[in-house]
Amino acid sequence: MQASRARLFKEYKEVQREKAADPDIQLVCDDSNIFKWTALIKGPSETPYEGGVFQLAFAVPEQYPLQPPQVRFLTKIFHPNVHFKTGEICLDILKNAWSPAWTLQSVCRAIIALMAHPEPDSPLNCDSGNLLRSGDVRGYQSMARMYTRLAAMPKKRLAARIILITGQSNPV
Amino acid sequence: MQNREGVVADGEKESAVSIPVSEFDDWAKFADDDIMQQQSAFHAEEAKKVPFVGDKEPLTMLAAEYESGSPILLEKIKLLGQQYAAIRRTRGDGNCFFRSFMFSYLEYVLESQDHAEVDRIKGNVEECRKTLQSLGYADFTFEDFFALFLEQLDSVLQGNEDSISQDELIIRSRDQSISDYVVMFFRFVTSGEIRKRSEFFEPFILGLTNATVEQFCKSSVEPMGEESDHVHITALSDALGVPIRVVYLDRSSCDNGGVSVNHHDFVPTSGGHSNATSGSTEPVSPFITLLYRPGHYDILYPK
Repeated sequence: MQASRARLFKEYKEVQREKAADPDIQLVCDDSNIFKWTALIKGPSETPYEGGVFQLAFAVPEQYPLQPPQVRFLTKIFHPNVHFKTGEICLDILKNAWSPAWTLQSVCRAIIALMAHPEPDSPLNCDSGNLLRSGDVRGYQSMARMYTRLAAMPKKRLAARIILITGQSNPV
Repeated sequence: MQNREGVVADGEKESAVSIPVSEFDDWAKFADDDIMQQQSAFHAEEAKKVPFVGDKEPLTMLAAEYESGSPILLEKIKLLGQQYAAIRRTRGDGNCFFRSFMFSYLEYVLESQDHAEVDRIKGNVEECRKTLQSLGYADFTFEDFFALFLEQLDSVLQGNEDSISQDELIIRSRDQSISDYVVMFFRFVTSGEIRKRSEFFEPFILGLTNATVEQFCKSSVEPMGEESDHVHITALSDALGVPIRVVYLDRSSCDNGGVSVNHHDFVPTSGGHSNATSGSTEPVSPFITLLYRPGHYDILYPK
């Protein structure tokens, strides 16, 4: 408990110091609980997530950093390795390949990398995984892009909903 | 697994607007968590049987274990009995090599009060710190683990306020919050050494896993619970400058029918360079002896 708190405090200071270094990640610690963090990450360019901003929730266990943080997407995302309902992420470093050499910040970077390079062979969202596995890249991309517009671009949410309902791209 | 195929067909149309079907969803949801839970349940069960570091047992306990087993093994255990008096078991949780090394080394310092050795290894630990820094590791990711090891090292030297007894060393080695941190310290040191001398280690790693040095360190050295191989042992021995003898207890036997117990000495040279050129060095007597049975390391005590 003591050790994890001390480590998280160091990470907190590092995040404050390096704020400008990684403009794609905004990592914020809960005001009252250093074991709860949230992050806003930008969807990587040249992927269907481009232009979207995705929110992640971190729950850090007391055995951190010997045990990995639990991370899930709060923003709905269509991706083979993210559970569509719960936002759970299938990523080896969050399970058995975790080591204390990782940090909350580098976990965010790994998640961005996963967004750009899905692993359809270990799917948590099988609909998404199967589209890719059957070679329907276009199908996967259009679904992923639709959910990015729907859920990860707050300002356009209304417009996107209208497109979804009416099927028309130019709502009045 | 069996669900995967059927899902494309009905998932395709629906999932765009509605939420996927529940049966399938449940499977996906439970998969990873279940495996993790099963693993930790397994480890918890294992923990009840063997502490991280066991009590010292006479070697005859080992013979009893194989009573109805292979005659080659029994013969080898008899031979071991000529040179070794006792064994101390460690838990088979994938960290057994590092855990055995930790206890064996600290116990050696505790018994020998070898101040020169402590000064020497502290120099090597400093080098390891610099290695990790130069490889781009942020200090805060490894410094707590380094500090905890150095703390143990100081406390086994007697005459200080924080000095500890053998009993206390055993208690600490069984305390997860200390034991696992020291194991992790060794994992950082091992990873740093392998990466620093990646050209030397690359062929051995390729022979083991077909992975790059970087991948190997990330997936097989740094994570807790990943088992150690000769690559890990060589790297740790070199990095800390500590010779290690590994005695092999397996079913192999000589062609001429004679049975002998093989061992291999991992001997770092004084220049820090290593097991690479160990052929030419004068004989060193390792003060850490481990017993290897396929998949597991325990501590051996010479007579």
